[in-house]
Amino acid sequence: MQYGMIIDLERCVGCHACTIACKAEWEVPVEFHRNWVYRIGPSLVEKEMASTYYPGLCNHCNDPVCVPECPADLEEVTFTDIKTGKTKTMEIAATWKDPFNGTVQIDKDRCLGCGACVDACPYEARYINPDLVDDVSEDGKADKCTYCMPRVEAGLQPACVQTCITGARIFGDLDDPKSEVAQYVKNGAKGIEPDGGELGPNSRYYGKKKDISLLFSTHTPELADLGHVRRRAMLASMVKPAVKKARSIGLMGIAGALIAKSITDSDSSKE
Amino acid sequence: MAFNLTRRKFLQSASLAAVALPLSKVIASETGVTRSPLEPAGSFKDETVVGGVCEMCFWRCQLVGKKRNDRLVKLEGNPKSIDNGTSICARGNAGIQLLYDPDRLKFPLKNVGERGKPKWKKISWKEALDECGSKLKKVNETYGPQGICMFPHGSTAKYPMHFFERTVGTHNVSEASFFQCRGIRDTAYLATIGMAPGENVDMPNAKAILVLGGHFGENIHISHIKRYVKGLQNGAKFIVVDPRYSASAAKSDIWVKIKPGTDTAFLLAIMNYLVTTKKYDADFIDEYGDGFEEFTKAIQGWSLERAAKECDIPAAQIKEVAIMLAENAPNVSIHPGRHVSWYGNDFQRQRALACLTGLLGAYFVKGGWVPAKGPKVGKISWAKQEHEAAHNLNMNEDEEMRYPFTPPGTPTELIRDTALSGKPYPIKGCVIWGQNPIQTIPGQQKMKDVLKQMDFVMCVDVMPTDVTMWADILLPEVSYLERYDLIKTGTQWDFSEKQQQYIAPRMPLMAPMFERKDQVYITNEIAKRMGYEKDIPVKTIEEMVEKNLAVAGLSLAQVRAEGGIHIQAGKNPYQMPEDFEVLFFNEDIADVGFPGAPTYIPVKDSPAGFARLIYGRVPVHTFNRTQNNVWLNNAMPSNPVWLNDELATKMGLKDGDVVGFINQDGFKSRTTTTVKTTPGIRKDVVYMGHGYGTANPLMSVAVDAGVDDTSLMTKITLDPETGAHGMRNNFVKFIKDGNIIDIPTSA
Repeated sequence: MQYGMIIDLERCVGCHACTIACKAEWEVPVEFHRNWVYRIGPSLVEKEMASTYYPGLCNHCNDPVCVPECPADLEEVTFTDIKTGKTKTMEIAATWKDPFNGTVQIDKDRCLGCGACVDACPYEARYINPDLVDDVSEDGKADKCTYCMPRVEAGLQPACVQTCITGARIFGDLDDPKSEVAQYVKNGAKGIEPDGGELGPNSRYYGKKKDISLLFSTHTPELADLGHVRRRAMLASMVKPAVKKARSIGLMGIAGALIAKSITDSDSSKE
Repeated sequence: MAFNLTRRKFLQSASLAAVALPLSKVIASETGVTRSPLEPAGSFKDETVVGGVCEMCFWRCQLVGKKRNDRLVKLEGNPKSIDNGTSICARGNAGIQLLYDPDRLKFPLKNVGERGKPKWKKISWKEALDECGSKLKKVNETYGPQGICMFPHGSTAKYPMHFFERTVGTHNVSEASFFQCRGIRDTAYLATIGMAPGENVDMPNAKAILVLGGHFGENIHISHIKRYVKGLQNGAKFIVVDPRYSASAAKSDIWVKIKPGTDTAFLLAIMNYLVTTKKYDADFIDEYGDGFEEFTKAIQGWSLERAAKECDIPAAQIKEVAIMLAENAPNVSIHPGRHVSWYGNDFQRQRALACLTGLLGAYFVKGGWVPAKGPKVGKISWAKQEHEAAHNLNMNEDEEMRYPFTPPGTPTELIRDTALSGKPYPIKGCVIWGQNPIQTIPGQQKMKDVLKQMDFVMCVDVMPTDVTMWADILLPEVSYLERYDLIKTGTQWDFSEKQQQYIAPRMPLMAPMFERKDQVYITNEIAKRMGYEKDIPVKTIEEMVEKNLAVAGLSLAQVRAEGGIHIQAGKNPYQMPEDFEVLFFNEDIADVGFPGAPTYIPVKDSPAGFARLIYGRVPVHTFNRTQNNVWLNNAMPSNPVWLNDELATKMGLKDGDVVGFINQDGFKSRTTTTVKTTPGIRKDVVYMGHGYGTANPLMSVAVDAGVDDTSLMTKITLDPETGAHGMRNNFVKFIKDGNIIDIPTSA
């Protein structure tokens, strides 16, 4: 299974409903975004006038460049496929690609806030959320689109899809040939691959030829300079032991509070 | 900038709730990774409150709220809605930030400084209402009811407007939605088909759609946009007439890059071509047409070539449009437009659109102009009364209408000119309710002068808009999320689906905060103090809604139990009314001295060195009303001015350059914006989003963001049939680094 998002630019009217719904659902700080809409043009595309939009979000890439850059300690985690019950155990840092649903996620507890993944992403889909602060990082934590996995797990559409006023955003399993998203891919919907990259972006665009041409010619990004990213990540991991120590104390604190709270409120299972 | 709920602050208050969860529940079921308590929970698990009706704009989509403890955290489309469904637009989604905007008006305020340079003092409601009641009573007694004028806008302004218009008895009411927006359209269609047209085109089922100046995508009304996109998806041919390559033009099959002001010539040439080549619907005209022969005679001079020259477009393109429309007739949506107060020749253009629809037989047919048949609810308000025409400024000495096709109310300029001259009578009291006439009406200085000479000015609003700076008393109103109010009714938007009607009364999603009050309370309290207690129609707003619902056999409790929206069987919208007719030539119009057949009246070209200023909507703002919303401000913080790229090169300007403006009267913009260069705009115009450039420092997010386009409209133009404004007859040059830069429009 590989979740993906289709943006149908023939339907998109550039209204920004998706970006604001996301802000509301996930309490994204005003000056940051998990998704965005840029208006492009009007410009001439092979002598023809064109104007379209770049409604962008995390591409949950097949081969994400952000994931390997995370300097956090690896931890063994068991993933479970809800449908089949199948499990897979792998070692992951604080960001990983889910082996079953194909989404790229962040563990906000273990994130060091170093920004390596933010710098590595060519799409600028990640940001450091300054509101996410704990003993591990006082500067905030990496944040981005999750394809609304908590909503999807609850049987809902992603917030941006639910609010989209023209049905221009379509979410589903790209690996399921019967899904609407797979049909779109068959009809030519494609992701924006960075220059020279082979990331396999799973947010894909469909539209008139001139509009797709305008979008790709103006918003195909460069791959990040990973040397630079790694120097920064290395610095972060060098100070990590001290940070980690502080973190385990912090965690004890939280766990202690949790235990204390669950004892005093043992009957209040209210959610 | 003030952010009302940071993640950090939220965590502080929510952390106790978080630790109350058993540990096992914090484990995400799929990943096996413990979900951090830092992670926002999302709104989807929160309590759902039904009955919201949006008013971030005036389309009024139906909402549900997501509530966490006492706090609304998110707004969503009501899943039961057959109008907007689960969709709401950017503004709708951002309603939360209006609700909790720290700059919102909270308490009654008294201006202890001067008008325009206010110093605010917090006062009690009693003091505020006593002041409003006694001051307005005094104006009423001294000058008569006509001494009071009113500038209302929005659903809360209806009730007080009816009080001042019907009960107190002043004619001097000017609604922006009519005199600066769609009034011309409504009266032009009334004079052609006997009905105001709304935007009632059956686009989902159209084979071709023609839009003049409308820019869907930049202008968002959800079910309307759904109709438009469905039509395009169904393969409708799409023609957009606009000097600019608008959001709609970007989806068009034909973009007619018309010279501004010449649209009527374009329409006349199309109609003349259809008539002379017999491509019109002769059967429809036999059956429903009136004055067709006079009409054809009147337009016969409009060859394709003549219009091509006038409109600065190829004759072949006009012909192509005409043929495309004829080939797809009668399933053609000729869009009536919405904001049509453009050039002061607009009544005739709107008449032409209505006649073109008739020529194509495109009334009450699939894809044509088809009004929805919605349900009936009550309209309780202040009782209607006959008032003498003597103080109606729109009547001349011979009791003839100065502007015979005026929309309801009195044309704005008649009110303002009278207030300034004192003739034929003084206007000394002003009630402004939800409108921001400083940024709505051309002639900003004139508006300020009008307000300066008043004995008393009161404003009721949600936000401290620019006009509130001119109030003596400023009253805080509850927002659309905190009150009962109007009842939104309608049908499903695609007429090819099962016919259904809906009734959705606005219900509060949460209790009002601070000392904000609703319109029925405020109006009734002022009415009591002015001596009209016996005329009060309802005691509370809830009573008003209950009585209006009762007409449809409903109650608030029932609608709430039904999820906030009552849905019932609908009627066939395509059924032609029995007495339907299309007046191609209207004798009544001719009788009062205007052209009885649609006629093109040229407008003045831009003076050398200037470009015509045109303006429009951006999708994240409703005029100035939403400018202080942090989310919306962040999405589009300014209104870049569109400039033709070839001109920009000649002028030495590039994208992102910061510029101000000077207009033909020497008026300079107070603020600046950036340049957006593009080949997608004619050389004789520049374009910017409307509603920016707030001056009131109490709007801490919006203040000085972008340029106020209305401030540059110092030249006032009126549409002669209606008395409504033409707002695209001002011309600008750029100012960069203090230097004035000519726009070589003739280049």
